[in-house]
Formats: sequence, structure tokens, C-alpha cells
Amino acid sequence: MEARTIVITSGKGGVGKTTATASIGAALAIEGNRVVVIDMDIGLRNLDVVLGLENRIVFNVVDLANERCKVSQAAIRDRRIENLFLIPASQSDNKDVLTTASVERMVALLKKEFDYIIIDSPAGIERGFENSIAAADESIVICTPDVSSIRDADRVIGLLYANSITPKIIVNRIVPQMVASGDMLSHEDILDVLSVELAGLVPMDEQVVISTNTGMPLVMQNGSLAGMAFRRIAKRLNGEKDIPVKVPEYKTGMWNRISKRFSKKK
Amino acid sequence: MEELETLFKRLQHLTVNAGVVIDTGEAAGCGQLVEKIERYLKEDFGVGLVSGPPEKRSIPVERIRQRDISKGWTHHSSNVLMLRGRVRSGQKIEGKKHVIITGDVNPGAEITAGGDIYILGKLLGQVHAGQPDNEDAIVFALDFRPSRIQIATVLAAGLPDAQGGTAEYAFLDNERIVVDNYLEANPFARLPWPEVM
Repeated sequence: MEARTIVITSGKGGVGKTTATASIGAALAIEGNRVVVIDMDIGLRNLDVVLGLENRIVFNVVDLANERCKVSQAAIRDRRIENLFLIPASQSDNKDVLTTASVERMVALLKKEFDYIIIDSPAGIERGFENSIAAADESIVICTPDVSSIRDADRVIGLLYANSITPKIIVNRIVPQMVASGDMLSHEDILDVLSVELAGLVPMDEQVVISTNTGMPLVMQNGSLAGMAFRRIAKRLNGEKDIPVKVPEYKTGMWNRISKRFSKKK
Repeated sequence: MEELETLFKRLQHLTVNAGVVIDTGEAAGCGQLVEKIERYLKEDFGVGLVSGPPEKRSIPVERIRQRDISKGWTHHSSNVLMLRGRVRSGQKIEGKKHVIITGDVNPGAEITAGGDIYILGKLLGQVHAGQPDNEDAIVFALDFRPSRIQIATVLAAGLPDAQGGTAEYAFLDNERIVVDNYLEANPFARLPWPEVM
């Protein structure tokens, strides 16, 4: 199989790019693919913390792109999930140390060894973003149901199309009860503005905070709504059919309490 | 006369049996002069036919006739910029004359035109029609909710509580931007025949 390079981006910061990268990467690895996740946020590295691998960093993406080390040296292997590897960002450099050419060369190297290359893009649309999308075949844009995030996603989608990459979108942090009461934009409203293919919908989930702080991949937490949503997204990316996009629902009244009690017993 | 002579001498190979039209423009009472020139040209250069300007019809009749006969629009090359698709945040579209977009204009997108702007879809971005000073320009959208609108030099912010969902258009009236229901106002219905934009 030809390796697929997917860049996760959003334009706006803090919408869940890094969480999505870690979750989708981990979920794809659980599905049995050889996956490498790359943190492109040079100078502000986060993905290693989210994956709980910060203690094991020796080489980073700048070393690999500038040919100071081998793939096997830079790619950190996750001990919990087989076939999941991380190439961390450099914390001391700035974004100008990479060029699109060096990123393309690095991705070409990685394509020989992995099935999926998931790139976590930095926020913004400057140099770091350009480097991140340079070698990507596909793209997933993360957006949350608020106006500023949608505006930035719209801009990024335009830039991706300009670079001949067709993006898909994940709507993150949906609060079903707020959507039901009309206080939050629904995913239909968002798609109406952005008009791109929907990759998946992820509900707001407190587990995300817990897993980020403990470095435990979200998709390994049983009962995490967001984790399950990301597993489904990964399955869909992996080419499995018959996995419809599930709209987060708000269960009211007695049924809500009963189902909560059931899920606690598990 | 001397000017005529040098010109016709230079074109001598073309003058024999040629037809010459003398257009005196708006000036009246040139009959004698025209006759004199006619004689001179026929004798010296062998010009075949010399005639005065054609009689003018009244302008409206002339215009209708021209339109009916030539169907002007069939060989008119238009400088309307017509685009299809979604205009996204950060994208800027500039048209020298009119701009037509069949699609939506998202918030943060900008459309600038020397003439009118027609959006066959939702207008949520910024528009500037009649740039720089064409005060007859209009902005039309099927769903009219721009975040900012400018016609010629007059600027207005979008209405925050605009409902949208109706076809509306904006035009200048006494240096103020007025937004009106398009079908009710029907601004172009009073033009008696189709006109090239």
C-alpha cells in the first residue's frame, strides 16, 4: 500500500489539532497500520506530552529533516500501542530552520517505512503551516462550533485548495445540549458555510483533559465519547465502509440518568 | 485645400472611381464648400462619387433600429467577471466591471468591482461595488447579509440582525446606501429592451 500523508490543521489555535493528531494516529495504529505522527510545531512542542513520550526524546524533526539522524533514531516507539511512532518537534529552534524541500525529502523517507504519516500542523498560516502541508496528500481541518474557528477554518480550506489538497473537516467539541437549545452552531450550519466533506463529529469530553494530562491516548480510554468518535474517524479514514458519521445526541430526562448509570457500571 | 491635396496625392493609386463622404459634422451652410471640394476631387483625382453626410434620424428610433437589426449582444464581448463556487475567507476577487458569483461568499471574503456585484447565493462577506466612483452601481444577493458594503465612496457596516433569506439589493440614494427587496423594487424592469452590461 502506498503510504498516506495526512496533515491535521485548523488555522486557529486551541481547537484540538494535537489531540486529534494523537487520537487519530493511535486509532490507526490500533487498526494495525504502521503510523508515524509528526509534530511540526517547531518551538512549541506538545504532541510528545499528549502521547506521554516526552521523556524519551533524543532526536527531533529538525534533526531528521536536516539529515542529522536516521528515521529509526528520530521515531520514538510507543510502548503501549504497537506500530505507533512519534517524531517530536524541536523545542529550541524556530520555524525557519525547516524548508518545504527538506520536509518533502523527510516525508519521502518516511513513506518507505510507514502506512500513515500524520502531521500535526502549528496554528497560523505562515511558514510552519506551509512546511506542514508541503508534503501532504490529504488534509483534515479541525474546527469547533464557534464563529472565529469557522472563519479560520474557511481561510485554511481556501489555502489548502490553492495547494491542490482537498480537505475534510472534523467538528470538535460539540456540546449536544447547547446545539439542541440553539446556543451552539450545529454541524449542519458549519458545513453550510465550509462545504467540504465531513470526516467526523467529536463531542465535548472531559476525558480529553484527563488523557492529555496523563499522557494516555484518548482512544485507549474506554467509555470516552471523544475517543470513540476518533476511533470511528480513523476507521473511516482507513477505508472501512458502513461507518456513518454519528451526530452527538443529547439524552434528556430519565433516559439520560439511566444510561449514565449503566455506563458507570461498566 | 492644401491638406486635402497632399493627402489625396499620397493616396493617388486609390482615388480613381472611389466614393468620398464629406462629413461636415454639426456645422450648417457648407453646401457651397462641399460642391467646390466635389468638383476639385472629381477633376484632379478622378474620384467617382462625392456625397454629404447621411441624414440623421432621431436618436431613440436609431437606437431601437440598431438593436433590432444587429442584436448587439450576440457579438458583444462582455467584461463581466462571472465565477462559480464558494468564495472563502481571505480570498479577494476584483473585477474591472461587473462581478457575478454563482455561489456563496463567506464571511471574511472580499469582492470588489468597478460596476455591479451580483451574488446568486449567500452574501456574508465584504463587498465594494462601483469602485472607485461609479454611483450607479448596485449590489445584489439572493441572501443579503454582507458584513460591510461600499458603493462608490459610501460605506456602510452590515446589519447585525439582518434576517437574510430574501433577494435584496443595495443602491445609492442621496449619498446613502439603501437596501430594498429586489422583486418588489425590480430596478431593471423599466428598461424597455435588453441591454448589454
